[in-house]
Amino acid sequence: MPRPLAALLLAVLAAAGVSLFSGHIDPYYLDVLMGVGINVILAVSLNLVNGYTGQFSLGHAGFMSVGAYLSAWITLIEGPRILGASGGTAPEQAALFLCALVLGGLGAAAAGLVVGIPSLRLKGDYLALVTLGFGEIIRVIFQNIDSLGGALGLNGIPNYTTVFWVYSFAALTVFTVVCLVRSTYGRGFIATQDDEIASEAVGLNTTRYKIVAFVVGAFFAGVAGGLYGHFKLTITPDGFDFTKSIEIVVMVILGGMGNTTGVILAAILLTLLPEVLRAADQYRMIMYSVALIVLMLARPKGLFNFDYARLVRRLLGRARTAP
Amino acid sequence: MTEFLQQLLNGISLGAIYALIALGYTMVYGVLRFINFAHSDVFMVGAFIGYYAGQHLPHGTIGGGLAAMAAAMVGCAILGIAIERFVYRPLRSSSTLNVLITAIGMSLFLEYTGQLVFGATPRAYPALFPSTIVSVHGLIISMNQVVVIVVAAILMVALQFAVFRTKIGTAMRAVALNPAAARLVGINIDVVISFTFGLGSALAAAGGVLYAINYPSIDPLMGVVPGLKAFIAAVLGGIGNIPGAALGALILGLVETFVDGSHWSTYKDAIAFAILIGILLFRPAGLLGRFTAEKV
Amino acid sequence: MAGPILELDKVTIRFGGLTAVGGLDLSVGDGDLVGLIGPNGAGKTTVFNIVTGVYSPTSGAVRSQGRSLTGLRPDQVVAAGIARTFQNIRLFRSLSVFDNVRVACNLHRGTAAVQSLIRMRAFRDDEAAITRRAEELLDIFNLRRHRDAPATSLAYGEQRRLEIVRCLATAPRLLLLDEPAAGMNPTEKTDLMALIQRIQRDFSLSILLVEHSMRVVMGLCRRVAVLDYGVKIAEGTPSEIQSNPKVIEAYLGEPSGTGGT
Repeated sequence: MPRPLAALLLAVLAAAGVSLFSGHIDPYYLDVLMGVGINVILAVSLNLVNGYTGQFSLGHAGFMSVGAYLSAWITLIEGPRILGASGGTAPEQAALFLCALVLGGLGAAAAGLVVGIPSLRLKGDYLALVTLGFGEIIRVIFQNIDSLGGALGLNGIPNYTTVFWVYSFAALTVFTVVCLVRSTYGRGFIATQDDEIASEAVGLNTTRYKIVAFVVGAFFAGVAGGLYGHFKLTITPDGFDFTKSIEIVVMVILGGMGNTTGVILAAILLTLLPEVLRAADQYRMIMYSVALIVLMLARPKGLFNFDYARLVRRLLGRARTAP
Repeated sequence: MTEFLQQLLNGISLGAIYALIALGYTMVYGVLRFINFAHSDVFMVGAFIGYYAGQHLPHGTIGGGLAAMAAAMVGCAILGIAIERFVYRPLRSSSTLNVLITAIGMSLFLEYTGQLVFGATPRAYPALFPSTIVSVHGLIISMNQVVVIVVAAILMVALQFAVFRTKIGTAMRAVALNPAAARLVGINIDVVISFTFGLGSALAAAGGVLYAINYPSIDPLMGVVPGLKAFIAAVLGGIGNIPGAALGALILGLVETFVDGSHWSTYKDAIAFAILIGILLFRPAGLLGRFTAEKV
Repeated sequence: MAGPILELDKVTIRFGGLTAVGGLDLSVGDGDLVGLIGPNGAGKTTVFNIVTGVYSPTSGAVRSQGRSLTGLRPDQVVAAGIARTFQNIRLFRSLSVFDNVRVACNLHRGTAAVQSLIRMRAFRDDEAAITRRAEELLDIFNLRRHRDAPATSLAYGEQRRLEIVRCLATAPRLLLLDEPAAGMNPTEKTDLMALIQRIQRDFSLSILLVEHSMRVVMGLCRRVAVLDYGVKIAEGTPSEIQSNPKVIEAYLGEPSGTGGT
């Protein structure tokens, strides 16, 4: 079996294992753990769009909300009809949840297509603002759909999210992005960011790369949205506004655009930090903004942007030669 | 008919405010090819300066109102120049992405520091200008609206003068057309850019005060949506094109007002973005702009 | 074969009021080495941009082996067997020398993109074949030892070579070289000429060359077309061109003078 696939299956098994023991873990830590996992999915999926393909998207939260609402509609609103009055057995609920998550992701992917296509000929600032605009449009649309709760959102979403689901999908996200990018095909993403004209001159369809990045990124953001909805049990259109998009963007920048390991570390740090600095919560966004400015002035490559593979090899090499 | 005229008046008034903000975006883009994300927050700061200045000035008088607005304009001009000098200038040679991220950081910083300093809850704006309302054949004209339109018109005429009749204005246009050549003929780019930021910020501040007197509730995040719409107006008119910004803003103000009066009113915010997407799909250079292609 | 490897048929392009290229007829046959010269601003790179699909001509047609190329996207033109280099070298600065070549192998990938996720035998074999091919190409052009270095860390002449190697990775039949000798000293130019002749031979290519260096053009090309203000003013063998009064006039002097060696 190919190695990446084996690693993925191992991760899923590990997630299942942890999930089985979740009854013995302090619920607070469990919550934090799930928050970390969801942010990893968001950051790694955004990294494909922003980091590798260089499409600076500020609307990722919009895709998240599509997934959240679509999956909640399936489990909360349509769920009772599908599962019956008894609420269904655990395996039935799990199957429904999986379908809801995947369909949420597909819905978000469709939104990604809708956003990606007009955005194709845009660069840098323009693209950022248009994607921001799209995120806002999606928010306004959900605010106006009364059957999905309108401005007040949806409550009472079934608590289906577990460590297993979150980390299985987190592993799948990382697996997908890394496998895609580390191939001859995948180098096309980086080339597209680097120099579009040169990319086309070597036969790459840059349009297709950009769309693929948007759609794949949006899919996983939608899945994250579904996981989020069934974790927080309440979703509102305002919870997916541009502030949320910016939080994810900060993770990608901090981690080093185009460095998946770095982005994962950044996602973990930025999820844990507010927990650690609970008292300073009102300063959180100010600190983020200062961090962004300082980072760009001092270390634009990001704080966690290292060649981790080489680092590990060096450490292991040193360990071997030590007496 | 009166209904239509009313909407027309409201739309022009709204468009005038958007124009004041849009001009700042377009001028900065013209000289630096960069979208100043923090511009919408300078607008917000202007409204707040006007608020605090208004506490020391007589209410309900034209003089008092203009003084408050002048205070806001001066304060924000300084703020804009400071932001450029200390945050953007060091990054002038960086990639556009880095500058963009910095601008986003600056914008967030202003918003959330504002929340910390001013509190997140909205405040009611004082009636700086006389709040007389006149009814002409059923058409309701408020003094505030008149002030908006007159002041905006005066400021835009002043801007035309500054940009086309003064040395520094000409220098600004030169830098917008070709920075390297401008430097070669001895133009001090730094001064021109500072001037551009100062001018744009002052106009945004005026816009902030005028917006606040018409929609009299201010909060630190008030700049976000009007800012985005003003940017869209600038793109609609052709980013980098000064008359274009005014034209785009007027069109946007009118469209938004008419949508607001229709049964699609809850979508009025989304309409602006739909216009943006439409423009970028069908006429990316904007109504009055020219598309400069990349040299291959 | 249905026609020459490249055929420009009354190709015209106008930018606003400016006619950058006017009614150009040009053809490149199988195995030809044709030069395109002219004073600065004559429209030579514009011709390349039209052929490669960066610009669409206002009128006229571009054909390759009878098949129309007009209006194709640049990546489609590459798929049709036409590759180009750029006046200002456009290497991928975030990729290594090796990856610059490998990414150009995408056109001839044997597996679909999705297979990079499943990574079965077929994918691994395909990647190995691509890696081998890229290594061979780098070897031939003496760039193997720089394999993992960032592309922009190479010396200027090596970067130009790498750009050509990258083109070859797309398995073209026609190569468009845009001022490959720019910025080179006489020794480097001699090496370049030998290189171009070699790749034409070894890879069975046709070549269309834009150059300012008359020595390179006259030494390499069997046929030369001269452009001035977007219009072809002469075409013939190098010696015919050198003595053509219209050509001399276009350059405001002798071609072998300020044109450089």
